[in-house]
Amino acid sequence: MSAPKKKTIQIEAFRHRVVADPKYAEKTWNILEHAIHEIYNHNASGLSFEELYRNAYNMVLHKFGEKLYSGLVATMTFHLKEICSSIEAAQGGLFLEELNRKWADHNKALQMIRDILMYMDRTFIPSAHKTPVHELGLNLWRDVVIHSSKIQTRLLDTLLELIQGERSGEVINRGLMRNITKMLMDLGSSVYQDDFEKQFLESSADFYRLESQEFIESCDCGEYLKKAERRLNEEIERVSHYLDAKSEAKITNVVEKELIESHMQRLVHMENSGLVNMIVGDKYEDLGRMYSLFRRVASGLVLIRDVMTSYIRETGKQLVTDLERLKDPVDFVQRLLDIKDKYDKIIGSAFSNDKTFQNALNSSFEYFINLNSRSPEYISLFVDDKLRKGLKGVSEEDVEIILDKVMMLFRYLQEKDVFEKYYKQHLAKRLLSGKTVSDDAERSLIVKLKTECGYQFTSKLEGMFTDMKTSEDTMQGFYANVGADLGDGPTLSVQVLTTGSWPTQPINTCNLPTEILSICEKFRNYYLGTHTGRRLTWQTNMGTADLKATFGKGQKHELNVSTYQMCVLMLFNNTDRLTYREIEQAAEIPASDLKRCLQSLACVKGKNVLRKEPMSKDIADSDAFFFNDKFTSKFFKVKIGTVVAQRESEPENQETRQRVEEDRKPQIEAAIVRIMKARRVLDHNNIVTEVTKQLQSRFLPNPVVIKKRIESLIEREFLERDKGDRKLYRYLA
Amino acid sequence: MPSTWTVDDTDLDGIDLESSDFSACLPLKKVPNGDLFAASRAGDVDRLRYLLESGVNVNARDQWDSVALYYACLAGHLDAARMLLENGAICSEHTFDGDRCHYAALNLKVRKLLKAFEARPPPLGPLQAALRQTFLGCVANRAYLEQAQGALKVSFPVGLASSGVSDTSLFPPDVVFAVQGSPIEAHRVILSARSPFFKRKFETEWKDRGKIRFSKEKLSYPALYSLIHFFYSDRLEVAVDDMEGLARICKVCKCESLQRIIEKEMIHQKYAEHKALRDVDNSQKRYILQGLSLPKEDRLPDALNRLLQISLIKSAICHNLDNYVDRLSSCFSTMQISQSMDDLADMCVRVDKKNFRCHQVILASRSDYFKARLYRMKDFHEGKNDLPNDTLPCLEEHDLSADVFEKMVEYMYTDGLKDVDPDQADEIFDAASRYLLFPMKRVVADVLLPQLEVVSPAELCNWLILSDMYGVFKIREYCLDSIACNFETFADTPEFRAMLLTLPPPSGDSSLRTTAPSAPGAVVNADQGNLLDDLREKWLEAEAAELDKRDESALLFDKRLEMLMLVAEQEKSDNLAVVNQDCTT
Repeated sequence: MSAPKKKTIQIEAFRHRVVADPKYAEKTWNILEHAIHEIYNHNASGLSFEELYRNAYNMVLHKFGEKLYSGLVATMTFHLKEICSSIEAAQGGLFLEELNRKWADHNKALQMIRDILMYMDRTFIPSAHKTPVHELGLNLWRDVVIHSSKIQTRLLDTLLELIQGERSGEVINRGLMRNITKMLMDLGSSVYQDDFEKQFLESSADFYRLESQEFIESCDCGEYLKKAERRLNEEIERVSHYLDAKSEAKITNVVEKELIESHMQRLVHMENSGLVNMIVGDKYEDLGRMYSLFRRVASGLVLIRDVMTSYIRETGKQLVTDLERLKDPVDFVQRLLDIKDKYDKIIGSAFSNDKTFQNALNSSFEYFINLNSRSPEYISLFVDDKLRKGLKGVSEEDVEIILDKVMMLFRYLQEKDVFEKYYKQHLAKRLLSGKTVSDDAERSLIVKLKTECGYQFTSKLEGMFTDMKTSEDTMQGFYANVGADLGDGPTLSVQVLTTGSWPTQPINTCNLPTEILSICEKFRNYYLGTHTGRRLTWQTNMGTADLKATFGKGQKHELNVSTYQMCVLMLFNNTDRLTYREIEQAAEIPASDLKRCLQSLACVKGKNVLRKEPMSKDIADSDAFFFNDKFTSKFFKVKIGTVVAQRESEPENQETRQRVEEDRKPQIEAAIVRIMKARRVLDHNNIVTEVTKQLQSRFLPNPVVIKKRIESLIEREFLERDKGDRKLYRYLA
Repeated sequence: MPSTWTVDDTDLDGIDLESSDFSACLPLKKVPNGDLFAASRAGDVDRLRYLLESGVNVNARDQWDSVALYYACLAGHLDAARMLLENGAICSEHTFDGDRCHYAALNLKVRKLLKAFEARPPPLGPLQAALRQTFLGCVANRAYLEQAQGALKVSFPVGLASSGVSDTSLFPPDVVFAVQGSPIEAHRVILSARSPFFKRKFETEWKDRGKIRFSKEKLSYPALYSLIHFFYSDRLEVAVDDMEGLARICKVCKCESLQRIIEKEMIHQKYAEHKALRDVDNSQKRYILQGLSLPKEDRLPDALNRLLQISLIKSAICHNLDNYVDRLSSCFSTMQISQSMDDLADMCVRVDKKNFRCHQVILASRSDYFKARLYRMKDFHEGKNDLPNDTLPCLEEHDLSADVFEKMVEYMYTDGLKDVDPDQADEIFDAASRYLLFPMKRVVADVLLPQLEVVSPAELCNWLILSDMYGVFKIREYCLDSIACNFETFADTPEFRAMLLTLPPPSGDSSLRTTAPSAPGAVVNADQGNLLDDLREKWLEAEAAELDKRDESALLFDKRLEMLMLVAEQEKSDNLAVVNQDCTT
């Protein structure tokens, strides 16, 4: 602190520069102004950054910040005006290039100016609440250049013109466009939106509105979609090349709206090339394109789906109600599978496995399959056909595929119990006649049914398989035990069937030939001897027999016939001629079965071991039958099939339905009791819905039937009606 | 202290911290001889301030494994806790110590305070903060940090986004390490200054390589990242799982003191698991170390100071200024720097005909002015004149003395100044403003303030003018206080009266005058107002005017000033007359 004097002088000296020279600010500003001019004139290399910074710093330090700032604004505005007029003067195509060049210049200059005036930027501007230098430069550029009356519209028009040109196939300078749009974005997103994007979208909308009109008049659907897709990709590419990324959603929206949404209906329903035609023609590519385009539009997919669904329903309905087709169940089901395959392929390859489309397909199938009440029967017949012979020589995988497809159809069935009924019958026939081709396939299908419907559903079917197995063992035991006593009498093979597991059939007894009766008796004694407390009933209507027969010229044949046929033929051992009446009396076979069996014995060419008089197709009560000793066949073994109605005849069908209905009754009752036990009190409508829900997996119960069941339960005092509200039921037991 | 506390925690939403919360409602026990822990527990803020200013490690643990912040939180001393936090106490919930503090917090207000500090950028000195920003300014480093934070959900706003990052605000790295394919960007100078291993490597093998691949399986990316981050910021943050890897790297890099601390901490963490208050996912557990925990010579300022000394010696050698070398070589020998004299300088600054060898990354990190100058080298006149004798790029600065520049460089490298000649003060202030080194003014003021207590009133007037001009708040406040307290003494001083003439008149608008004394702890207005207005406020406070009489007193004061100014006018014209007479005679 030895030199207070000196310090005073120092400080004075410092202040001196400013105070003593009233023109200090003016002079310094002139230097800086000159520098700004030079920077704009690309002469910056002659300037000293350090000196300029120092000058600007001193001006702010000595409270001339305001002057510096306003001077900056004025100078910059002056330059921008100059730039503005030079841009305005640019001719035609050079306009954008000039604008771009000047913008780059301005940007560079602005950064240099900002750096020179950094001290002001840090201290004066925040405390005086001014706009920072860089932002100021951008704002001035926006206000002076971009918003100048001559440039604003010209810029917009030029940009739109160029884009329009590119749309019509011209090559434009994308880099330049990129720079210009980037400039607009740098000036603030509002500038980009107001000065360019809004008009761009509008003009695009106009353009595409016109173009889409033109397209739709001249092209078919597929072609139109191709064009629309190309346009859409072009716009997306355009955005990625030289527009703001945020514009993509907006412009695609415009294209979607104009090209797709407003013509959606017309495209889908277009004559000869619309959606239905594409489906019919399996045009996966077109369908895929339609899907990907329509997906972009609200309700686009709904439209496709609705049209497709109604078409599937329409064709499906035609198929299932076409009486001509119904004649061959196997063909019918095959057709269903073909349709399903077709749509699966379409959805898979064109609709990218869209879940909603799959659901629509499923519901359509469910709809039309159940239109025909015989679908369950036919599906079972189809399986029967496949398992009887269709799977010969087919690999295991293919078997699985076919079974899976059948299961798929099965899933669509509402009356699964009807299917079960038929399947049981068909399976029984297959098993008893030994016609199954592959045990594995049978079992695999049963496993599938089990996973689909649960244990209950298949327990009886599995019981049938067990019976077959145990019968085999029983027979072995029988022959081991009593085989020696039998001599050379007829050989017997018995299948012991558990009652309940097998389809119940009215027991039609018939008079067996005596040779058979004796061995049957022996088996009965053997079986009841090993199993006590059981009852055996002969199901003669299901058996088969092999007969050795010698014909007129001494030729021997082995005849493979049913039990009934055997009984009939055995009668001819004693005589050559029998009338229908005589046969009926002797054999006591039910008339319908007898007629069918005689028909197969006498009327089938090549297998007519009997001769009938008169020679007609049908069997009449007055017919007479002769042993046909002229019978010939090139085979030793002759299989005489019963004339079996593959499809059930109308009355039989009625009967089956009747039985199904009967079976349903206890199921419905059980469901009602289950529900009421849990809920105690419930009103009628709720019971109906609950029951329907519980039984859905098996069949669709009829509300009327449910009501009857409820009444029956009331009678049996399981339930009672509420005293006050007649609609309420109470559980009693 | 920020006026608003923003924290995302639904529990704490309803809680507002007000200034009144920070003063205790009961008089607190004083612990004049207590240590850091005793002072924190007692809430003795004065003792605490003294201890912290004397440089104790705020994150040290006592024999019961507790940190000072834990005691402050446990006892609910908000003011003490805030002081500890502002001095770098660790409060991240993912660390052992921070977790205990959160758990021990007396009430939700304490928790809110902890959360608020957790959400802020770590308290670092200006040097560390500037270098950290440069490190995080490198794209790859920043990307990793953001990704790591995203995974951890630790709120650590880096504070870069707000600073308007443009192309010029980044200083490009000059070396990239690739560890298992992931890059870490760094600057050779910093690494060399902090680790002898890197220094040797950069002088030999890696001299000309821009990209260095590490293929060792054992080298963990997060560990190396945290170490390099530590080199820049003196703040280590590492996942507990990575500590083992970090200790290995430290061994290689010869960062012995850090290695020792980490190894010790690893043992501690092992036992800490048993002491943990709740189960924390191990991968989320962090360990944070402030530079203060290391010996002084291993911290960033000392490391850079060594570098600076070498650079200064080399600069001096270049000029063959023998006496200069003599002066410096004495301190050089005491520092026991190894044989190598490579200073790694990549630029030089020419001031007052002297060349100073410097490092671009440090100058650019500390001062935006230098960043812009380095960036603008090509655009302006300076880019043209290459110096034939020196291959380093050279910046020339005018209006600045070499001594002041040396002081400035010292500050830029070390964040501190040893001694300042009061005669240089104005020049230093000028340099601090000009080179945008605003925190430097405070450092200078801190060094100068003790000396101001003995200066004459006339000098104090000069200091007032000076500090007002350069915005040195601390000195300005001190001067105003002295003047207000001894107003009559100053009124008699001609220099004071002369000064009054040069100042803009006080605003007559009474609405600007605060009618109530400003609340303690209220936000200090960053924009300094009219000097005379402020003086009037101070005077009113010093005179302890009653509240209802303030306006009258203020009027009296204004009258007094007017009179003084008239006297000053008179004196001035007299002086002029005298001067004129002198001239004429």
